[in-house]
This record gives sequence, structure tokens and C-alpha cells, in this order.
Amino acid sequence: MNRFASAREKQGQLLLLAGILLFLASLILTLAPAARERSWSAELRWTHWFGFFVWAIVFGLAHVLTCRRLPDADALLLPVVSFLSGWGLLTIYRLIPGFGIRQTIWLLIGGSILLLGIRIAPELHFLRRYKYIWLTGGLVLTALTLAFGTNPAGDGLRLWLGCCGVYLQPSEPLKFLFIVFLAAYFAERMPLKLRPLTLLLPTFIVMSIALLLLIVQRDLGTASIFIFLYTAILYVASGKKRVLTISLAGLALAGLAGYQLFDVVRLRVDAWLNPWLDPAGRSFQIVQSLMAVANGGTLGRGIGLGSPGLVPVAISDFTFAAMAEETGLAGIVALLLLFGLLINRGFHIALHAPDNYRRLLASGLTAHLGAQAILIMGGNIRLLPLTGVTLPFVSYGGSSLLTSFVAALILLIISSQPEQEPAALAKPDPYLLLSGGLILGLIALALTSGWWSIWRGPTLLDRTDNARRTIADRYVHRGSLLDRHEAPINITTGDSGDYLRTYVYPDLGPITGYTNAVFGQSGLEASLDPYLRGLQGNPARLIWWDHLLYGQPPPGLDIRLSLDLELQANSDSALGNHKGAVVLMNAATGEILAMASHPTFDPNRLDEQADSLLNDPDSPLLNRAAQALYPPGQALGLFYRAAGWEGIPEREPALQWNDRLGFYTAPPLRLPVSETSTPDELLRVSPVQMTLAAAALSNGGIRPSPRLATAINTPEQGWVILPALSEPVAVFASSQVIALTDELILEGRPCWLWSGTGGAGTNQVSWVLGGTLPDWQGTPTTVVVLLEEDNPELARQIAIFLLDRSIAR
Amino acid sequence: MSGVVVLILRLLLAAGLYVFLAWAFLSLWQDLRRTSQLLASRKVPPIGLQMVTGDGSSAQIFFARPDATIGRDPANEVHLEDHAVSARHARFSYHHGQWWVEDLNSTNGTYLNSERLKIPAVVMTGDVVRCGEVTFTVSLPGETVQSDQNSAETVRIENPQQ
Repeated sequence: MNRFASAREKQGQLLLLAGILLFLASLILTLAPAARERSWSAELRWTHWFGFFVWAIVFGLAHVLTCRRLPDADALLLPVVSFLSGWGLLTIYRLIPGFGIRQTIWLLIGGSILLLGIRIAPELHFLRRYKYIWLTGGLVLTALTLAFGTNPAGDGLRLWLGCCGVYLQPSEPLKFLFIVFLAAYFAERMPLKLRPLTLLLPTFIVMSIALLLLIVQRDLGTASIFIFLYTAILYVASGKKRVLTISLAGLALAGLAGYQLFDVVRLRVDAWLNPWLDPAGRSFQIVQSLMAVANGGTLGRGIGLGSPGLVPVAISDFTFAAMAEETGLAGIVALLLLFGLLINRGFHIALHAPDNYRRLLASGLTAHLGAQAILIMGGNIRLLPLTGVTLPFVSYGGSSLLTSFVAALILLIISSQPEQEPAALAKPDPYLLLSGGLILGLIALALTSGWWSIWRGPTLLDRTDNARRTIADRYVHRGSLLDRHEAPINITTGDSGDYLRTYVYPDLGPITGYTNAVFGQSGLEASLDPYLRGLQGNPARLIWWDHLLYGQPPPGLDIRLSLDLELQANSDSALGNHKGAVVLMNAATGEILAMASHPTFDPNRLDEQADSLLNDPDSPLLNRAAQALYPPGQALGLFYRAAGWEGIPEREPALQWNDRLGFYTAPPLRLPVSETSTPDELLRVSPVQMTLAAAALSNGGIRPSPRLATAINTPEQGWVILPALSEPVAVFASSQVIALTDELILEGRPCWLWSGTGGAGTNQVSWVLGGTLPDWQGTPTTVVVLLEEDNPELARQIAIFLLDRSIAR
Repeated sequence: MSGVVVLILRLLLAAGLYVFLAWAFLSLWQDLRRTSQLLASRKVPPIGLQMVTGDGSSAQIFFARPDATIGRDPANEVHLEDHAVSARHARFSYHHGQWWVEDLNSTNGTYLNSERLKIPAVVMTGDVVRCGEVTFTVSLPGETVQSDQNSAETVRIENPQQ
């Protein structure tokens, strides 16, 4: 008796451990909101404790009852099953608490059946005797869905029979009854002789009816499970390898036919083979699932701390991805080991079964649980095409949970046969091959999970369709954009969980851009994102620690820009409603003091205005100062004169001069700028390029390197200067510059000015270039005004106004 | 702070998961060890057969292997030159903690204590098995051991270390 007592002791210890682990997991889930918001004042989660207590009661009673009624039953089966279902239950609570409560009720129902089954510990012959009735019942139920089928989610496949809020998916019990039928049928005819007509025809008919029903319903995942189950049981019963070959060929044919006939199959297979072609459409689910796995990394984000809700139907089809995100590769490998244990125990029980019927039944049930788990987990991580089957014991769904519990109950009962010797085994090969194949499947799953979560993880998480970045924006303080006197331009307001980007100086919209959950990022918000998001500039240790704790970057860094908000306001008011751009620059340092692009937009109101902004023919989202190229026209004359030419130079030297002026080089700013013209095409120049070239005339012939973002505020060293990205270039001889600017001098001011038009017809633009004289003792300043209209006089007035303001400043 | 507390809990959970699994695998290994010890402790008690042939000559046979056949064919473990004995006549075998004798469909039959064998039967010390003209008197290692077979077995099961 001692041996059996010790098995039950083992079961008790493991169940207790499972209980402790689930208690820990529940505690983490409760505290998760506090960790996410980084304060204890968050609203904690409590509903899942109801599920935990129901779980504890069900499996506590199951333990007591097995000790009394099934003292010889397998010691590991119940703990493994209990842990899987508890883990699944908590995952469901974590995803949608309302569904967690429903699943708890299903757990209560399934648990009651389990407890009742252990209490009665029935001989399994009643299943065997009435096999045709059971199977017919299952088929009829499934057939009923053709007429009365509904989908609890509203639309989609109509696979459920339901009334009053309770839904049953008959294909789940049908799978179970199919196994019972095949086990009974083949056990009666052992040793099997594979005679197609007498032996196999009845089973073929039964399977064809089942397959036909499932195919009509488009429940193709379950259909493939049926084919697998038939093959597995027939192979185990007969021991003939050709069963496998024929079935494999049949499965390949069925797959090919399915690919040709059904859109669903084609869609799923295409999404499996080429998920990166259409990540926003057909392969949205699988790509999101892979990103969830990648976000899990090694240790996972912590239960309740990831964003598994981003994967569609995470609750049933993608439970595995949700678990991967929150428990990481460590959790996934543990989950796979649990299924490995289940498969091991299942086949152990099968081999020790006292007769062929129970042996086939145990093999069939184990193969079913194992194969279905591998099928859906493989679908989640792109090892296999996606099929909409459930993860046994784990994913949401009452029918699946009930069926899995009944399977576990039967395995427990079969394992509890102390006095009987195992039946003689004709051929051990099928058991070795089948269990070996399933274990290999689990190993492949572990390796693939590692591939996505570790190896490919960083690349996946950097994808722009990874919504976790926008979620982090709501919880992590984003750095501010400040002007040169540290006056706010773009700041983040609100509390953790509700952070909102606020644009204090909205007219800078085209330049500083926006950061938006729906429309992404633009302007400086996009180009300086790594600093603002805290991924650059922070110590690597801090980034690592915050990623470990919260799965999020540390608070972002403030960035100081060279802009002067007062001059900026002057520029914006001067430009007014005219389409065009203004750039005001410190000619010596290259610091951009003001950059205006009109028409502008208000990034605070992007959500309501985005559509009209995107379709506006005036393109208000465009930064005309840096992202638009205009024909330079007469403005070029200034530089040709500075170079010492009279009139228009030859083509070759002109091209060389264009290059020296920087017109073929994108200005190296930490700001999105447009591609430049090439020497082969008609020259077009952006206002920033023009300003840099003009700055040479106020800076003794030296073209400065442009600067806009000048410093970042790091937590350890305070303000750190961001260096310019290029070197100043000497373009003109200093004497020529002095001579030329003397000719262009503005009456009564220490400034020079040059104006001209470019382009023709409706594309005509007015340029005005101006600046302080090279020998000016104050801040050397350059201004460029561009108007998308033929109005050099207005441009001139704006330029003079801005020069006056900047000199006065 | 909340993040650190949750991180500690997360690490505990991850470690606990593997403790659970290690415990489960340990229990599998213990199961394996127990089974192997159980099988190893099931030594076949050597059966002794006092053989008396038709011409009065006698011999003492012992075997410790769990299976032995008797017959006229030289391939048998006990080879008899007796015309009343079939080529493969009878079998002694040890299973379920007992020595058994069964008739292998012989022409003249196998007799246990003068009764013809129809199904395999358990033999004990003193039993006489007759094949043709040859009789075998069974002796097992000690009457006491024989009668206490089951309890001795149980003792070994209870204390596998012994």
C-alpha cells in the first residue's frame, strides 16, 4: 500500500506547489497596474481571485477524492492538468475579466464532472458498449449547428449551439466521441488486418460524415485534427507504417484541395508563408502575435504588464502568444514541458492499460491533446499555418475545457488499475513513434519561440506597426522640446496612464511635428524620437532596468532647440496667411533661430483634422523650409556675383558652384529634410539650403554647419551639447564677400539684401536673401524668405522686418 | 517601488515554475527507480526437480531461469529420451510470483499429482509432475519461503533500499 500512498503524496505536493504558483501569479496580476503606473495609488485588479479560489476548491477536492477512490491513479496527471487550467484561467482574466468569470463557471462545471467521475470511478465499458449511439449523438449535435448555429461573438463561423448566454461548440465533444468510437471499434477487431472493405469502410463512412460537416462549417482546423486522430489510432491499433504514408499523402492532397477550394485555407497558408507582405491586412494576426512573443523576451513582461490585447482574439486562438508576452521564453518552455509531461503520462498510461480498448482510448486522447496543443501553438508562432483550434485546458471556451477535463478524467481512471497486468503489446513502435513525434513537435516549438523572442525580437519590436510604442507613450513621460531659452514648445502633460502630448506653440507644427497614437510621428518628434523616448542618451543600465521592470523605456530626455520663440513669433506673424517659408539663422554658428512654414496646422487638433489636413492641396503638414525644393531663379545671381562672375556662368563651373554651395547635399540636421536635386536635373533648392549658402556672405565666406537640436538634458550630466553633424566650408574669398555685401547694403542698416524670383507661371516663387554685413560686431544673422507667389516686395518687407528684430534682440 | 516588488514576484514565479517541473521530473525518475528496483528484487527462486525416468535412474535438476521446456527434442532445456514424451511436452515458467507448469499440447499429456493438466497450474514443493514415464518431484527453496512468498515480496516493496 505504501507505494500508492506515496504517489498520492506526490500528487498532493505538486498540487500544493501549483496552488502556490498560481497564488503568486494572481498576486502579480493584482499588483500589475501599480507597477505599470509606477505608483501604489493605481486601481488594482481583484476579480481573478474568484477564479483562483474556485480553482483551489475544485482541485483540492479532486485530490481528496483521488486519494479515496483512485488511490493508484497517476501522480502527475492531475497536477499538470490543474496547473495548465489555472494558468489559462488567469490569462483569460488578465485579457478580459468578464470572460474570466465565464471561464470560472465553466471550470466549476468541468470540475464537477471531474469530481463526480472520480467519485463514481466508472468502468469505461458503458462508453464502449454504446459507441454508435454516442457517435451518432455527437454527429447530430454538430449537424444541428448547420441549421441553428450561432457565434457568441456575433459574426464569424457559426459553430456554436447556444441559448440564454450558454454556448456549446459540438465539434469539441465530437472529437472526444470519435476517439471513443475508434478505440472501441478497433479494439474489438484486434489484431487488426487492414482489409479496406470489411474493417475500414465503416470508420471511413463515419469519418467522412464528420469531415463533411466540418468542411461545410468551414471548421477546417478541427477537420485536420480528425484526420490526424484517425491516422494515429489506426496506426497504434494496427502497427502498420503504411497507414502513416497513406494518411500523409491524403493530408497533403486534402491541403492542396483546400488551398484551391477555400479562401480561408488560401488566406491562412499565404499569411503563414509570407506574413511580411501584408502585415496590416491578411497577416495582421500572425504579425501581431509574433510581436507579442518578441515583446516577451526571456523573462516576459510580467503578468498584467504586457499588451497581449493587441493581438486579435488573444483569448482563444492566441492565448499562447499572450502567455509568451507576459511570461517570456522561460514561461513558454515551462508550458511546453507541462504538455510534454502530459504526453509522457498519457502514453505511459496507455502502455500500462489492462486491455486494448483502454490502451487505444488512452493513446487517442493523449494524441488528441498533444496534437491540438502543438497545432495551435505552432500557428501562433508561424511554425504551422494558423488553425482556429483551442489550446487544451488553457484557452477560453467551455466546450473545449469540458472535453479536456473528461479526457483527463478517463486517463486518470485508466491509470488506476493496480492489480491488472498490462495487456500484451504486439508492436511497441507506434507508441514510440507517436510520442516521439509529439515531443519533437514541442522541441520545435521551443526553438521557434526562442528564435522570435530572442533572435528576431529587437527587429520585430522596432516595427512601426508595433502599437506597444504608443502604449508606452501613455505611461512614460516623453521629453520636452524647448527653445533656446528653455521655453516649452512641445511638452507632455497629464498623469502616467493618460500622458498627452501638448503643443504649446502650435504654429511650429510643420517643423517640430507631432507624436500621435493613430497618425504616428513627424518632424522633430520623429527624428529626435530616440532621445524623447528615453532610448538614447540615458545610461544603458537604466534602459535595461526599466525594460526589465516595466517593459518600457525610462522617462525621455528634454531637448533644447536653437529656436528663439520670440523671433519665431515674429516670423510667423510676418508670414501671416502667405504660403511660404522663413529661415532665420545665426550665420556664424549655423543655429537656426526661427523656421516658419505656412500654411501651418495645430498638432493639438490632429485627431479631428487629420483627414482634411492630409487632403489639403496646400499641404499644411509639409515643412516648406526643409522638405520642399524650389527653383532658385534669380537668387542664384547673388552667389555667381560673390564668385566673381558677370552674368551667367558656363554649365560646368555652375554645377561645381552649386555643389560648393551645398545645393546637392541634404543639410545635415536632426530634422526630416527632402532629397536634394542632382546635377543632372534642373536645380531646385530648399530654403534651409539657401540660408546656409547665404550665411556665407554674413560669415566672411564660410558656410556654417546647420544646427537645430543643440543639447539634451541627461539625468547624470545635465545638459549635454549635441554636436553639429558637419564641418563649416569656406566657399567664397573673404574680400569678395565684403566687396559684394558693400554693394548690396541696405540704407541705414548694417545689412545686405538680395531679392529675385524663380520658376514661371503658377509655380513662380519669390526669394529674398539677406543678412548682417560680414564686419558687423553683433550676432551675424542671415534670413531667407520664400513666398510661393510673385511678390518680391512683400518678401523684402518680411526680410527687413526680421533682420531688424534679430539685430534688436 | 511597485515595479521592484512585482519583479521579485515575477522572478519567484519563474523559479517556482521550474521547481514544479523539476519536482515532477524527479517524481518520474523516482518512479523509474522504484520500478527497476522492484523488477530487480523479483529474482526467480530456483526450482529443483528430482527427475526419475522409466528405467529407475534419477537425477537432480535445478534451474534459475524463468522459463524451461521439457521434451524429446534436444532443443528443450530438459531433454528426455522417452517415446511417450512429445517433442515439446511441458513448460515450467515463473511469473506472478509463482512457478507454473503447463502442458504444451502433448500427445500423452502432462500430469500434476496424477491429474491431467488442462490449464497452467501453480506448483509447490512436493508436487509430482509426470510426462510420459518420467516423473519430476518439485522442490522450491524452502517451504517457509514458499508460503511466505507474498509477504516477503511486500516487505521488499515497502523498503526498496533493503
